[in-house]
Order: sequence, then structure tokens, then C-alpha cells
Amino acid sequence: MGVSPGTVHGLIGPNGAGKSTVFNLISGVLPPSSGEIHFKGERISGLGPAEICRRGIARTFQATTVFSEYTVLQNLMVAGQPRSNDGTLAALVCSAGYRRGEVDAHSRARELLASFRLDSVADRVVGTLPHRDQKALSVGMALATGAEMLLLDEPLAGLAAQETRDVMDLLRTLRRRGLTVLLVEHDMRAVMDLCDRITVLDHGTPIAEGTPTEVQANPAVVEAYLGAAVDSEAGG
Amino acid sequence: MSLSLLVQALLNGFGLAMAYVLVALGLTLIFSILEIINFAHGEFYMVGAFVAYLAFGVWGLPYVVALLAAIICVAAAGVVAERLVFRHLRGKTLNAFIVSLGLLWVMQAAAQLVFGVQDKSVPSAFSGIVRLSGVVISVERLAVTLAAATLIVALYAFLEHTRTGRAMRATAQDADAAALLGVNIEAVSALGFGVGCGLAGASGALLAPIFSVSPSMGALPVLKAFIIIIIGGMGSLPGAVLGGLLLGALEGVGTLFFSSAAVNLLGFLMVIAVLLLRPRGLLGGT
Amino acid sequence: MAPRHAAVSPLLALGLLALAGVVLPLVTRDSYYLDVATTIVMSLLLTMSLRMQISTGQLNMAHISFMGIGAYTSALLAMRAGLSFWLTLWVGALVAAAFAVPIGAIALRLTGPYYFLITFAFSEVARLIFNNFFVDLLGGPSGLVEIPPPRPLLGVAFTGKLEQYCLMLALFLLGAAILVRLEYSRFGLAAGAIRQGELLSATLGVDVLRYKLTAFVLGSAMAGVAGGFFAHSHRVLHSSDFGLEPMVQLVIFTVIGGVGSIWGPVIGTVLMTVASELMRELRHYETLVFGLVLILIMLFLPDGLVSVPSRLVRALARTRARRGAIGVDVAT
Repeated sequence: MGVSPGTVHGLIGPNGAGKSTVFNLISGVLPPSSGEIHFKGERISGLGPAEICRRGIARTFQATTVFSEYTVLQNLMVAGQPRSNDGTLAALVCSAGYRRGEVDAHSRARELLASFRLDSVADRVVGTLPHRDQKALSVGMALATGAEMLLLDEPLAGLAAQETRDVMDLLRTLRRRGLTVLLVEHDMRAVMDLCDRITVLDHGTPIAEGTPTEVQANPAVVEAYLGAAVDSEAGG
Repeated sequence: MSLSLLVQALLNGFGLAMAYVLVALGLTLIFSILEIINFAHGEFYMVGAFVAYLAFGVWGLPYVVALLAAIICVAAAGVVAERLVFRHLRGKTLNAFIVSLGLLWVMQAAAQLVFGVQDKSVPSAFSGIVRLSGVVISVERLAVTLAAATLIVALYAFLEHTRTGRAMRATAQDADAAALLGVNIEAVSALGFGVGCGLAGASGALLAPIFSVSPSMGALPVLKAFIIIIIGGMGSLPGAVLGGLLLGALEGVGTLFFSSAAVNLLGFLMVIAVLLLRPRGLLGGT
Repeated sequence: MAPRHAAVSPLLALGLLALAGVVLPLVTRDSYYLDVATTIVMSLLLTMSLRMQISTGQLNMAHISFMGIGAYTSALLAMRAGLSFWLTLWVGALVAAAFAVPIGAIALRLTGPYYFLITFAFSEVARLIFNNFFVDLLGGPSGLVEIPPPRPLLGVAFTGKLEQYCLMLALFLLGAAILVRLEYSRFGLAAGAIRQGELLSATLGVDVLRYKLTAFVLGSAMAGVAGGFFAHSHRVLHSSDFGLEPMVQLVIFTVIGGVGSIWGPVIGTVLMTVASELMRELRHYETLVFGLVLILIMLFLPDGLVSVPSRLVRALARTRARRGAIGVDVAT
């Protein structure tokens, strides 16, 4: 499977096809039992999640995962931590480099708060926020890492029509800025509308890859989805 | 070094190990159902020993009655402890640890106040020795081993072949799924705690005639129990038996060559090795 | 700009603590009170450094063993090599840190109850070594005796309770300053993030193992400092000083106080030590009462004593809201 830079690439398939597993493999949460993963020409398969994030890949989780005891701002500060050394000594003596890193992370957090329209809740503890704000925050956190490629796991799940449009606009903006997005989604209209290319997964193997039109016309895809079509309507 | 000496050492080790396995089984049962590590487990062992001391040593009831009384009393105490305290701490390991320490202190202090700190001795229920081709086994130790083995088999039968037992295993595997299938988690937790403590109490009653009875006697068995279940696998009952046999063998044979301190050290090094190489333990599941 | 929100300014709290510490010897010169105070301050260093590790989600049951390593190292260097305490104290801490690196690297591969168990196993190994091995060096079951007190510094002798108290206070304040600085920096933010979600933190680029190991080694070094002080003030070392009982005591002080706040251990240690001293006469009843207290606090105040102020505030807010909703006429 291949993803081109600066595109929005969809990853679809019936439930249980292995989409989250692909995310886990790419982000280093699971080590591959065979095969290799390359990013920007370098081999990343077998590296740990923190190292992969440092190389420029960030992700969200299907069950919205945030630091629920921290405030929104704190969540973004954790994600925006400078990727340099662990900085304990620097933190202790409050060196110039450390302070610069903190200022940078803070301003990036403020920017993201503005673009996600979370400024008003910047100092609210995340656990008290509604689910859609938490979801927006999790995408913001992935962006705060400074990643060039985002793996987004069902970013549209549970959103109302207007919110869905907002997220789709956000993804288009990210593409314009040169980021690459790999998207797992069940909302077929959004996927077909948004994605430059789509890979279809079934039972752990890719059964089709191409533009939305090509994939929609592919008979193998239609067959894999005949049973799943009802699920995707019901399950969202 | 003769074979019979080796066999003798192994049997000595196994004999006591079986009783410790009972303690370990109780501990691992409680852990698998409630996800908490009960540090006060050794105190339930101690209570069982004291019940046996009172029933058999002081009031002169038949030993079997004393044993049954110990099991029932300690199991009841376990249910009470679970209902009052531990049910609120499901899965909260750190807080449960502190609470079990508190319970440990309460039980030990209560025992000290009621019985005093002096060691009490319980007369042996069995006497005599058995000779089998050069190997000597005391009837007492044999009885302890057989009784422990019987209880282990009874536990296995309960968990495999009764509805309640299966409900317990289901809860241990996945409490949420079990609840969805109609299992009464609260009842199962209470019962599981009771059974676990009952096993410890049985062990206390069985070992009371062999070791002296005192309020602080629970510390050593619970330590051994931890070693056993780490090696065998937390939450695995066959693992506890295997771990007990291994520990028994190590201690029985080890003391032939090394000091007891060295044997203890080896035991803990074995624990570290198991945790690193196979943290689930030899027979541990997910 | 501190990334963590503090209810009370950390500098202010640290300042108040220092003030309280300094004022004490002005109020009393009684050697019993100074002794208790010294024990409290030493325990504070131990519990605060333990709490830093717990803040990354790890309960290190071998913390006391590193105190032991620092203690024995400092004592032996002073006794056998004739070095000055003022040097051996820091060497002891460094040796404790040196041991902490490989032990931490091994133990931190595990998490949760498994980490708890492996550190517990390490602590028993250490205790058995202190008690039964290298007897001519470590003293065996009879312990290590006749450890020299610190040599006079700047004309001040450190054999008296007052001087020892001041020394421990100074060491503690140094350690506390470091811990406070870290807590309210990027380090503390990351540590809390790791505790709330290790996987999430890792996928966001946080080097989880490095943070945990740093906390482990730094915490062990501080325990080593406490150990060095203990060796030369107590003058006798025994393996039971570094066994399960004192370790459990440290855990209780820390958790009862509350691990969510850097000041939790302070409250827990001070209150529990004072209570224990007051109840010393009661012997078995003391243990019984303490056990009950432990159970009750953990059931009703799961976040520890340090959560009492915020709970009171919330309870008051709720009562006020309820009154407002029902429209009770408060004014008479």
C-alpha cells in the first residue's frame, strides 16, 4: 500500500478488515510480523511510537483519547513538546533553549486553539468537555506534534452535519498546506468527496486501490461491502 | 549424594509447598476476580490457624471439625471484608494495596490483643512416620499434603463443574462480558473473596500443628504465595500449583547445598527472571 | 509561565515549608522533638522523591533499597577509606544512582502490578544481601556499627541533634527545590501525561521510558542522600532499616497524603508521624487504630488528604447552589 505526499488518502473496508491494525503498524504501536514500512525513504517498521512521531507521523485513536485530567491547553502543550533531548537538566536550570522551547510550544498551542475554535475552553479540564470538543482536541494534538503525516481514525464519527463539513474543510486546508492525511472513515460520501486516492481493505488484505471513481466501480469492492453497507448506515 | 536423600529433600519441600499453594490459590483467585492484590491475605491464614488452635488445641474438638471450622470462619470473614471494604476498590490497585495494609494491621493487632503475642503451640493430630524404600515421611506431613491436594481438587471441581464456579471464571476473564450475560458480579466477587480466604484459612489450620501459632505468622506464607503466583502466573490456578511445586523443589533441594538465605535469594532471582522473560508467568494467560 | 496549574504558588509553599523548618529549632531545643523533626524531614525527602516516580504511574518498591545503598556506601567509605562524610554522602548518592540505571532499565520494561512485583523482588534481594552476604563488609545480621559522625565543617560539629536537624533540613530543601522545579516544568507535564495515558503519550512523541528512567534514577539518588545522612546520624545500619516495613511506611505516607499533588507526601508524612508519636503509648491499639484510619481514608478520600481543601470547596459550592435553586431565603 502506498500513500503520496500532500494527499488525503482513504482507508476503507468492512468492520474487522484490519484498518486500525494498519494504523497501529504504521504508528509503531504494533511491530509487524513480516514486511516493511517506509516513510520518506526511510525504514520505520519496528520503531517505537515515540520515535515514529518524531519522524513526522502522528495519529488519533478511534475511541477519542485525550489527557482527561489536564486542561485543553495542557493537552496541546504535551503534544507540542520540543522533540529534542529529554531536557531534564535544561528544565532544572531553565536554560535559554528550554525557555524558547516552551514559548514555541505555547504559541503553537494558541494557534491551534484558534483554528479549532477552542480558545474559550482553553483552561477547562478536558474531561468536562463535550465529546465533539474532545475529538477536535485530539486532532489538534496530532497537529501540535508538527507531524507531516496524520493518521486519523474515524474523525467524523458521531458528528452532526455542520460539524462534519467543518472537519472536511479542515482536512482540505491541511492538504493545501502540504500535509498528508491517511483517513479511516465509514462515512462513504465524505470519503468519496474528500480523498484523492482510496485503499480498500478486506480481511487484512488490500483488495483495491485507486481514485474514488475507480474504487466505486470495482466489483470486488462492491461485493465486500454488500454485507457491510447496512452496517455502515447503522453504525456510522 | 544418594538418590534417596534427594528424594527426601524433594518430598520435604513438596509437603510444605502444597500448603503454601493453598494460600497462593486463594491470592490468585482474588486477584483474578477483583484485580486487587490483597496484602492482608496472610492474616486470614493466621486466623485459620487460631481457629484450629482454639477448636482443636483448647476445646479438644476432633481435628477434622477444627479444620472445617477454620475454613468456614475465615471464608465468612473474607466475605465480610469484601462487602465492607474491597468491593469499592475493584481495579484500583494502589488504593487497594493501602487498604489491605490497613486490614493487615487491624487483624494483626486484634489477634495480639485477644491472644497475646506469645507463640501458641497446637498438638499434632497425627503421629508416626512412614518408611518407603529409605525415604522417611512423617504421617503428619503426609496428611497435610493429602488434605491440601484434596482441597485443590475440590476447588478445581467447583470451578469447572458448577454453575457458580463457572460464573466465577467468567468474571475473572472479563467482568463486563460476564455481567452482560447475567452473572451477578457482586455475588461472585463476594463469594470469590470468601473462597480465596477460606483456602488461606485451611492452610493455616493445616500448618498450625507444624509451626507455632502467632499473630505475625502470616508474613512468611504470603511472601511465598506471591513468589508462587508470580512464577506460575497471576490469575492462573494450575500455574499456582506448578509454581508451588517448583518453589518446593527449589527449597527442598536448595537447602541441601546452600544456606536458607541463599535459597531465599535464589527464589527472588527466579521471580525477577520470570517477570522479565515471561511476565505472565509460566502458565499465565492474557 | 508554568504549564501545570497550582492551587498555591509552589514557590510560596516551598518558602512556607522552609520557614516552618527554620523556625522549629528556635521554638524548641528539646532533643526528642528535634529527633522526631529530623526523622520527619528525612522521610519527606524519601516520600517526595517516591511520589515523583509514582507520578509517572510506577510504584517503586525498591526505593528504600537505594537509601540502603547510599547508606552502606557512605558508611563504608568513611570507615574503610577514611574519607570525609562531606564527600562520601555525595558518592553514596552517585553509587545509588549508578545502581538505579541498570535496575531501572530492567524493571521499567514492566508496568502496573508487574513493575510493583519486580521492584519488590529487587528490594528483597537487596535486603538479603545486606543481611546475609559480604558479612565482613556489610556486617551481616548484627549490622554495621560504629559509623563515624560527620566531621566538623566550618568549625561546627555535627554530633548534636540540632546540627543534624539543620543538615537534614538543608539537604531536604535542596531536594524539594529540584522536585518542585521539575514538577512545574515540561518534565512534570510529561510525567502526568504518562500516568494518564502511556500509549497516547508515546504516539505524541513523548519518550516514555526516558522520563520514567530519569524519575527512577533521580529519585534513587535522593534516596541515597537520605541514606547517607541516616548512616552517619544513626551510626548503626541494619538490613531491617531497608526492608519491607519501612518501605511500606513510605508508601502509606505518600498515598495517604495524595499522589496527585507534590505536597501530598508532606501532609501525609507529617500527620502520620505526629499521630504515630502521640499514640506510641497505646501499642497494639495504635496499630489497630492506624489500620482503621488507613482503610477509612482510602475509602472516603481516595485522592488522599491533600484533596480535602478542594472537596470542601466543592461541597460548599454544592450546598450554596442547592440553596439558591430552592430559593431559600438566607437573609433573615
